[in-house]
Amino acid sequence: MAQIFNKSANNIAKISMVMVVVLAGGAFYFYTQIARSSYLTGRYLEKQQPVQFSHKHHVGDDGIDCRYCHQTVETTASAGMPPTQTCMNCHSQLWADSPYLEPVRASYRDNKPIEWERVHDLPEYAYFNHSIHVAKGVGCSTCHGQIDNMPAVYQENTLQMEWCINCHKNPEQFIRPKSEIYNMQWQDGDINAAERAKLKTDYKIRSREMMTSCSTCHR
Amino acid sequence: MFRNNLLNKTKNRTGKVDSVRRPVRFALFLLPLVLFAGCGVRFDMQDQPRYKAYKESTFFSDKRASRDIPEGSIPRGQLHDNKAFYTGKIDNPDPNAVAATTTNANGNTIVSSFPNDIDEFPIPVTKELVERGQERYNIYCIVCHGPSGNGDGMIVRRGFSAPPTYHDDRLRNAPVGHFFDVISNGWGKMNSYGAAVQPADRWAIIAYIRALQLSQNPDENLKMNTNKESKPATAVPAASPDAKNRGGGM
Repeated sequence: MAQIFNKSANNIAKISMVMVVVLAGGAFYFYTQIARSSYLTGRYLEKQQPVQFSHKHHVGDDGIDCRYCHQTVETTASAGMPPTQTCMNCHSQLWADSPYLEPVRASYRDNKPIEWERVHDLPEYAYFNHSIHVAKGVGCSTCHGQIDNMPAVYQENTLQMEWCINCHKNPEQFIRPKSEIYNMQWQDGDINAAERAKLKTDYKIRSREMMTSCSTCHR
Repeated sequence: MFRNNLLNKTKNRTGKVDSVRRPVRFALFLLPLVLFAGCGVRFDMQDQPRYKAYKESTFFSDKRASRDIPEGSIPRGQLHDNKAFYTGKIDNPDPNAVAATTTNANGNTIVSSFPNDIDEFPIPVTKELVERGQERYNIYCIVCHGPSGNGDGMIVRRGFSAPPTYHDDRLRNAPVGHFFDVISNGWGKMNSYGAAVQPADRWAIIAYIRALQLSQNPDENLKMNTNKESKPATAVPAASPDAKNRGGGM
């Protein structure tokens, strides 16, 4: 019976075995990088808004507290988008003739809400509540980044489950005193690990088992 | 070379019929993959057919899924029958009473008489209340009225008309009900902050304004430091039936 395979098939077979592992590994790595890329997570992408609102100006330059506009962040799941009247508290006089603010004035005149583009869009199978996070020592900038440096707001983090879980597993690495929640300059290193561990006890943050239980976020 | 060999061998071994079917089988194997790809990624779970805050509605003409509470409805536990606490007005106000007003150089309407406003806090003034007031003041009021209430906040420095200072005899003597009315309903260039600041927080802010007035009043400071017995003007404890409900969603 004639040889079916050429002698070179030996090498081909060996190389193939190695290459299958290398290619599968490479493909998996490629997949994970694609899945975490800003192309799929929307991270770092600045959204075009109906009004050229700058957090850098209002927070960074003017020093307005987050809660002046996001009024329900301490009490409800949603941080709250301000009604147009909140804009007009100041812009009834400041830049009152500016064409940039015409959509705001139109909204106020016609009693129609401004249709902002949502920047942080969690999937609806994930339960998220702002009030519990600020009540337990998670600062705005921990998740949202340095908003006071963002002319146009973008998503600072992936908002993927691995990112949520990372903090839910080890909240003591990320929490800060409640008095500093709205401090945009706060850095994790401003207090040491022992102080953060004490905060975790003081704020009665639950055990890792509770914090990473499925139904904590999927309910 | 290898490929050619392999193909030749295959053809030889399996015959012509199979060599035609092979691509068909291969296509059948690929078909489910193509179908999966054709389905695309579905977002039914990401975007569920229910309304969350600020979600767009296809049902209501103004596209707002978050609806206003119908006018006149009273949510359970929010009857607001404590008139002093929720309006800062006395029980039997005189509807014909007219507040004396003048207009100053800044175009502000200056009121100098305060009929119908209550002059006592409807809730006990505690250290916690004043501290809560400080926090709320530094969010909502500081932008115009400034850190010490002189009317020199950042927005004023940007060109907004300056509000009157808290530190003159007129506002030092103004009843607390007047401040409550201004926060709730606005005054002159100032919009209403009733939606942003709940009634309990308004009283907290007023307590803090009283503390600011005290801190900027040299006479009062002198009096407090020389006579430890004298009580600050803000300490007006008065039991209120609503005090215990303050923490709720008012």
